[in-house]
Amino acid sequence: MDLNFLVQQFLNALQLGSLYALIALGYTMVYGVLLLINFAHGDIFMVGAFLGVFGSMVLNLPFVPTLLLSMVLTAILGVVIERVAYKPLRHASRLSAVITALGVGLLLENGMLALTGADPRNYPENFIVTETYDVAGFSISNVKILIIVLSILLFLGLYAIVQRTKWGMAMRAISYDKFAVPLMGVSQDQIISLTFILGTGLAAAAGILWGVAFPVLNPYMGLRVGWKAFIAAVVGGIGDIRGAFLGGLLLGFVEIFVVALGQPFGISSTWRDPIAFALLLIILVVRPTGLFGVARRQKV
Amino acid sequence: MLLSVRDMHVSYGSIKAVHGVSFDVDEGEIVTLIGANGAGKSTTLNTIAGLLSPDSGEIIYQGENIAGMSAHSIVKRGMALVPEGRRIFGNLTVYENLRLAGFQLDSATLNKRIKRVFEIFPRLEERRDQLGDTLSGGEQQMLAVGRALVTGGKLMLLDEPSMGLAPILVQQIFEILREINAQGTTILLVEQNARMALQLAARGYVLETGNIVLAGPSQELAQNPEVQKAYLGG
Repeated sequence: MDLNFLVQQFLNALQLGSLYALIALGYTMVYGVLLLINFAHGDIFMVGAFLGVFGSMVLNLPFVPTLLLSMVLTAILGVVIERVAYKPLRHASRLSAVITALGVGLLLENGMLALTGADPRNYPENFIVTETYDVAGFSISNVKILIIVLSILLFLGLYAIVQRTKWGMAMRAISYDKFAVPLMGVSQDQIISLTFILGTGLAAAAGILWGVAFPVLNPYMGLRVGWKAFIAAVVGGIGDIRGAFLGGLLLGFVEIFVVALGQPFGISSTWRDPIAFALLLIILVVRPTGLFGVARRQKV
Repeated sequence: MLLSVRDMHVSYGSIKAVHGVSFDVDEGEIVTLIGANGAGKSTTLNTIAGLLSPDSGEIIYQGENIAGMSAHSIVKRGMALVPEGRRIFGNLTVYENLRLAGFQLDSATLNKRIKRVFEIFPRLEERRDQLGDTLSGGEQQMLAVGRALVTGGKLMLLDEPSMGLAPILVQQIFEILREINAQGTTILLVEQNARMALQLAARGYVLETGNIVLAGPSQELAQNPEVQKAYLGG
């Protein structure tokens, strides 16, 4: 096993992991604010990727405008979903809300299937031209660097919003104690909308980048990826954005290196998911609240 | 009249908690509502602050009926509630708690008000970057009052500020409330600790199972045999 191979796998892991991480952020933020597991989030990621097809193939837009367009439109969709489907259930049982989220996911999948058909889609050739650079003897692809760097920048931007702005403070405050937030002069609805804007916008970015890295888009692509990102958020400690990001990266590394290191021992790549998830389960057994999670105070 | 509550009814689902309460608070006053656990004191305050919607009745604040308005728009009209149990955001620092309480303010006003809070409670400035969870009960109560001072406005509602505090701390908090009042904030105080409340307030109302059963100047209430028996330990 040569060093170049390891470097490639390291970059692959970072690439896959940062995509999981971007999606995991949306799960964890919505959970933090609403205590809702938004099972439609994976399908929102899919919609983001397909809006990229719309932007690049139909409107003939280049990469950056397509990315921004998809993020904006998906964020609007996220806010609409919250207002129409989740807000009326805010005081209902959490089970009803979760089932509604599953329903919204099915609606998005089948709606997209009806709109675009079952043929897999991809972005145009000139969307991002893949180039490979030779850096100190290692071949490094511009697409991987772009995905990794952009993901990290988006995460840092989100982290700055959550930690430094009053809106971020309000998001953290809601996740601690909803009751007192309106007394600070904060409209809870506005903060919830903001949470959905940020979470779904990042999922859309992940969707476009996913389509660049793995150019086979279909309406069901959000299912598997969404589940994995959700698990990454839980492993990181759901409700904590640092945890979600690290959990995503961790999942990427586990998946890539199970395959890379298993091959010489005759472990087939179909064992990737079982081994990856077994490892994550072990983490949860050792730390049930996840890497960054704290046990929620039960209020009586 | 700064605040005028008229025949206010409040219920939780089918359980009626407040049955047609009426009372007034004039500008510059300290008024107290006393009563036993479950008398409807917190419900009354939470409804005035907009956390609950009344079934019927009027809440006239500065000439406007605010009954049923959302809490954050009532804050905008200049009313702050220090809720029961303090409700400090434990995952935010002392500064962030105060910063959040000034959500609707421009930064000049915000900084001025936070500075004033730190002058009144130097202890909070020492703990500026500590998380709310790490504060003692007394410090949390200071922070809760401090947040209401940042939120600002003419009227401060306080729900059981003495709860769970040692007598010396209760004295301190009540001293500060007297000062805040002297500087121009009207105070409506809900207390189980009737003795302290009647010492601080000029007037009071006695609430029993969702009805006001007595009203008058604090001295009169403190000498009323029924009040003495029920709330002042004989």
